[in-house]
Amino acid sequence: MQTTTKTSRKYLATPIFGVAMGVAYLVALSVAGQPVWGVLALAVMVAFSGALLLARRRSETVKGLLDHRDERISAIDLRATAITALALIAVILVAFVVQIARGQSGWPYSMLGFVGGVTYVVTVICLRIRG
Amino acid sequence: MTLGASQVRNDVRERRVAKGLSQADLAQRLDVSRQTINSIETDRYTPSLPLAIAIARFFGVTVEEIFHADHN
Repeated sequence: MQTTTKTSRKYLATPIFGVAMGVAYLVALSVAGQPVWGVLALAVMVAFSGALLLARRRSETVKGLLDHRDERISAIDLRATAITALALIAVILVAFVVQIARGQSGWPYSMLGFVGGVTYVVTVICLRIRG
Repeated sequence: MTLGASQVRNDVRERRVAKGLSQADLAQRLDVSRQTINSIETDRYTPSLPLAIAIARFFGVTVEEIFHADHN
Protein backbone atom coordinates (compact mmCIF):
# COMPACT_ATOMS: atom_id res chain seq x y z
CA MET A 1 0.00 0.00 0.00
CA GLN A 2 1.40 3.39 -1.00
CA THR A 3 1.45 5.78 1.93
CA THR A 4 4.26 7.98 0.69
CA THR A 5 3.35 10.82 -1.63
CA LYS A 6 6.81 11.21 -3.14
CA THR A 7 9.34 8.43 -3.11
CA SER A 8 11.55 9.42 -6.01
CA ARG A 9 14.97 10.77 -5.28
CA LYS A 10 14.42 14.37 -6.22
CA TYR A 11 16.41 15.82 -3.36
CA LEU A 12 18.64 17.74 -5.75
CA ALA A 13 15.73 19.65 -7.29
CA THR A 14 15.53 22.38 -4.62
CA PRO A 15 19.31 22.95 -4.36
CA ILE A 16 19.58 23.06 -8.15
CA PHE A 17 16.71 25.54 -8.27
CA GLY A 18 18.52 27.61 -5.65
CA VAL A 19 21.72 27.68 -7.68
CA ALA A 20 19.75 28.45 -10.85
CA MET A 21 18.16 31.43 -9.10
CA GLY A 22 21.63 32.51 -8.00
CA VAL A 23 22.76 32.44 -11.64
CA ALA A 24 19.66 34.44 -12.59
CA TYR A 25 20.54 37.03 -9.93
CA LEU A 26 24.10 37.17 -11.28
CA VAL A 27 22.90 37.75 -14.84
CA ALA A 28 20.29 40.31 -13.79
CA LEU A 29 22.68 42.27 -11.60
CA SER A 30 25.40 42.09 -14.26
CA VAL A 31 22.98 43.51 -16.81
CA ALA A 32 22.18 46.23 -14.28
CA GLY A 33 25.90 47.02 -14.02
CA GLN A 34 26.42 45.50 -10.58
CA PRO A 35 28.35 42.28 -11.23
CA VAL A 36 29.95 42.24 -7.77
CA TRP A 37 26.55 42.12 -6.12
CA GLY A 38 25.60 39.43 -8.64
CA VAL A 39 28.53 37.27 -7.62
CA LEU A 40 27.63 37.83 -3.98
CA ALA A 41 24.01 36.85 -4.62
CA LEU A 42 25.14 33.71 -6.43
CA ALA A 43 27.48 32.84 -3.56
CA VAL A 44 24.63 33.21 -1.07
CA MET A 45 22.38 30.94 -3.10
CA VAL A 46 25.13 28.34 -3.57
CA ALA A 47 25.81 28.41 0.17
CA PHE A 48 22.08 28.05 0.90
CA SER A 49 21.82 25.08 -1.47
CA GLY A 50 24.88 23.48 0.05
CA ALA A 51 23.50 24.00 3.55
CA LEU A 52 20.30 22.26 2.51
CA LEU A 53 22.23 19.24 1.26
CA LEU A 54 24.27 19.09 4.46
CA ALA A 55 21.17 19.49 6.65
CA ARG A 56 19.52 16.65 4.74
CA ARG A 57 22.09 14.26 6.20
CA ARG A 58 21.31 15.24 9.78
CA SER A 59 17.66 16.25 9.77
CA GLU A 60 14.85 13.85 9.00
CA THR A 61 12.56 16.81 8.39
CA VAL A 62 14.89 18.40 5.82
CA LYS A 63 15.40 15.01 4.23
CA GLY A 64 11.64 14.58 4.09
CA LEU A 65 11.10 17.98 2.53
CA LEU A 66 13.82 17.46 -0.08
CA ASP A 67 13.54 13.82 -0.88
CA HIS A 68 11.62 11.12 0.90
CA ARG A 69 8.32 12.81 1.66
CA ASP A 70 5.70 10.99 3.70
CA GLU A 71 2.16 12.18 4.36
CA ARG A 72 2.98 14.00 7.61
CA ILE A 73 5.83 15.94 6.05
CA SER A 74 3.54 16.77 3.12
CA ALA A 75 0.90 18.05 5.56
CA ILE A 76 3.51 20.14 7.36
CA ASP A 77 4.73 21.52 4.03
CA LEU A 78 1.15 22.35 3.01
CA ARG A 79 0.42 24.17 6.28
CA ALA A 80 3.71 26.06 6.16
CA THR A 81 2.94 27.11 2.59
CA ALA A 82 -0.53 28.29 3.61
CA ILE A 83 0.85 30.32 6.53
CA THR A 84 3.48 31.79 4.22
CA ALA A 85 0.73 32.79 1.80
CA LEU A 86 -1.25 34.41 4.63
CA ALA A 87 1.80 36.42 5.66
CA LEU A 88 2.33 37.57 2.06
CA ILE A 89 -1.35 38.50 1.70
CA ALA A 90 -1.15 40.57 4.89
CA VAL A 91 1.95 42.38 3.64
CA ILE A 92 0.38 43.02 0.23
CA LEU A 93 -2.85 44.38 1.75
CA VAL A 94 -1.06 46.64 4.23
CA ALA A 95 1.34 47.90 1.55
CA PHE A 96 -1.58 48.55 -0.81
CA VAL A 97 -3.50 50.53 1.82
CA VAL A 98 -0.41 52.54 2.73
CA GLN A 99 0.24 53.34 -0.94
CA ILE A 100 -3.28 54.54 -1.70
CA ALA A 101 -3.29 56.54 1.55
CA ARG A 102 -0.25 58.35 0.17
CA GLY A 103 -2.17 59.14 -2.97
CA GLN A 104 -0.30 56.57 -5.09
CA SER A 105 -1.81 54.03 -7.43
CA GLY A 106 -1.19 50.98 -5.28
CA TRP A 107 0.91 49.32 -8.00
CA PRO A 108 2.31 46.64 -7.91
CA TYR A 109 0.48 45.55 -4.76
CA SER A 110 -2.91 45.84 -6.45
CA MET A 111 -1.79 43.44 -9.16
CA LEU A 112 -0.25 41.03 -6.65
CA GLY A 113 -3.47 41.05 -4.64
CA PHE A 114 -5.52 40.52 -7.81
CA VAL A 115 -3.37 37.55 -8.88
CA GLY A 116 -3.57 36.05 -5.38
CA GLY A 117 -7.33 36.46 -5.16
CA VAL A 118 -7.99 35.03 -8.62
CA THR A 119 -5.64 32.12 -7.95
CA TYR A 120 -7.46 31.31 -4.71
CA VAL A 121 -10.92 31.41 -6.29
CA VAL A 122 -9.86 29.33 -9.32
CA THR A 123 -8.12 26.80 -7.08
CA VAL A 124 -11.18 26.43 -4.84
CA ILE A 125 -13.41 25.91 -7.88
CA CYS A 126 -11.03 23.33 -9.42
CA LEU A 127 -10.61 21.42 -6.18
CA ARG A 128 -14.38 21.56 -5.58
CA ILE A 129 -15.04 20.07 -9.02
CA ARG A 130 -12.46 17.32 -8.41
CA GLY A 131 -14.25 16.46 -5.19
CA MET B 1 -18.64 14.56 13.35
CA THR B 2 -15.08 15.86 13.27
CA LEU B 3 -12.36 14.17 15.27
CA GLY B 4 -9.15 15.99 16.10
CA ALA B 5 -5.80 14.30 16.57
CA SER B 6 -6.21 14.26 20.35
CA GLN B 7 -9.52 12.43 20.04
CA VAL B 8 -8.03 9.41 18.28
CA ARG B 9 -5.97 7.16 20.52
CA ASN B 10 -3.96 4.20 19.32
CA ASP B 11 -2.03 1.17 20.49
CA VAL B 12 0.79 1.46 17.97
CA ARG B 13 3.53 1.86 20.58
CA GLU B 14 2.38 -1.15 22.61
CA ARG B 15 2.10 -3.38 19.55
CA ARG B 16 5.44 -2.19 18.17
CA VAL B 17 7.24 -2.85 21.43
CA ALA B 18 5.56 -6.25 21.68
CA LYS B 19 7.04 -7.10 18.29
CA GLY B 20 10.47 -5.95 19.42
CA LEU B 21 10.68 -3.22 16.80
CA SER B 22 12.14 0.24 17.09
CA GLN B 23 10.36 3.29 15.71
CA ALA B 24 12.92 3.37 12.92
CA ASP B 25 12.20 -0.28 12.07
CA LEU B 26 8.47 0.33 11.87
CA ALA B 27 9.00 3.52 9.89
CA GLN B 28 11.10 1.64 7.37
CA ARG B 29 8.49 -1.12 7.03
CA LEU B 30 5.72 1.43 6.46
CA ASP B 31 7.79 3.73 4.24
CA VAL B 32 7.37 6.78 6.47
CA SER B 33 9.74 8.77 8.65
CA ARG B 34 10.62 7.82 12.23
CA GLN B 35 9.22 11.18 13.33
CA THR B 36 5.88 10.25 11.82
CA ILE B 37 5.76 7.02 13.83
CA ASN B 38 6.65 8.95 16.99
CA SER B 39 3.94 11.54 16.29
CA ILE B 40 1.35 8.82 15.73
CA GLU B 41 2.34 6.98 18.91
CA THR B 42 2.09 10.15 20.98
CA ASP B 43 -1.30 11.06 19.45
CA ARG B 44 0.10 14.24 17.93
CA TYR B 45 -0.66 13.10 14.41
CA THR B 46 -3.62 11.13 13.12
CA PRO B 47 -2.56 9.12 10.07
CA SER B 48 -4.50 9.09 6.83
CA LEU B 49 -6.81 6.17 6.17
CA PRO B 50 -4.31 4.44 3.82
CA LEU B 51 -1.55 4.69 6.42
CA ALA B 52 -3.89 3.59 9.22
CA ILE B 53 -4.83 0.54 7.14
CA ALA B 54 -1.16 -0.16 6.40
CA ILE B 55 -0.38 -0.01 10.13
CA ALA B 56 -3.29 -2.27 10.99
CA ARG B 57 -2.32 -4.78 8.29
CA PHE B 58 1.27 -4.76 9.49
CA PHE B 59 0.16 -5.76 12.97
CA GLY B 60 -2.44 -8.19 11.62
CA VAL B 61 -5.43 -6.44 13.14
CA THR B 62 -8.28 -4.22 11.96
CA VAL B 63 -8.00 -0.45 12.02
CA GLU B 64 -10.56 -0.23 14.83
CA GLU B 65 -8.54 -2.61 16.95
CA ILE B 66 -5.54 -0.32 16.89
CA PHE B 67 -7.12 3.14 16.54
CA HIS B 68 -9.78 4.23 19.01
CA ALA B 69 -11.93 7.28 18.35
CA ASP B 70 -13.27 9.00 21.44
CA HIS B 71 -16.89 9.81 20.64
CA ASN B 72 -18.38 12.27 23.13
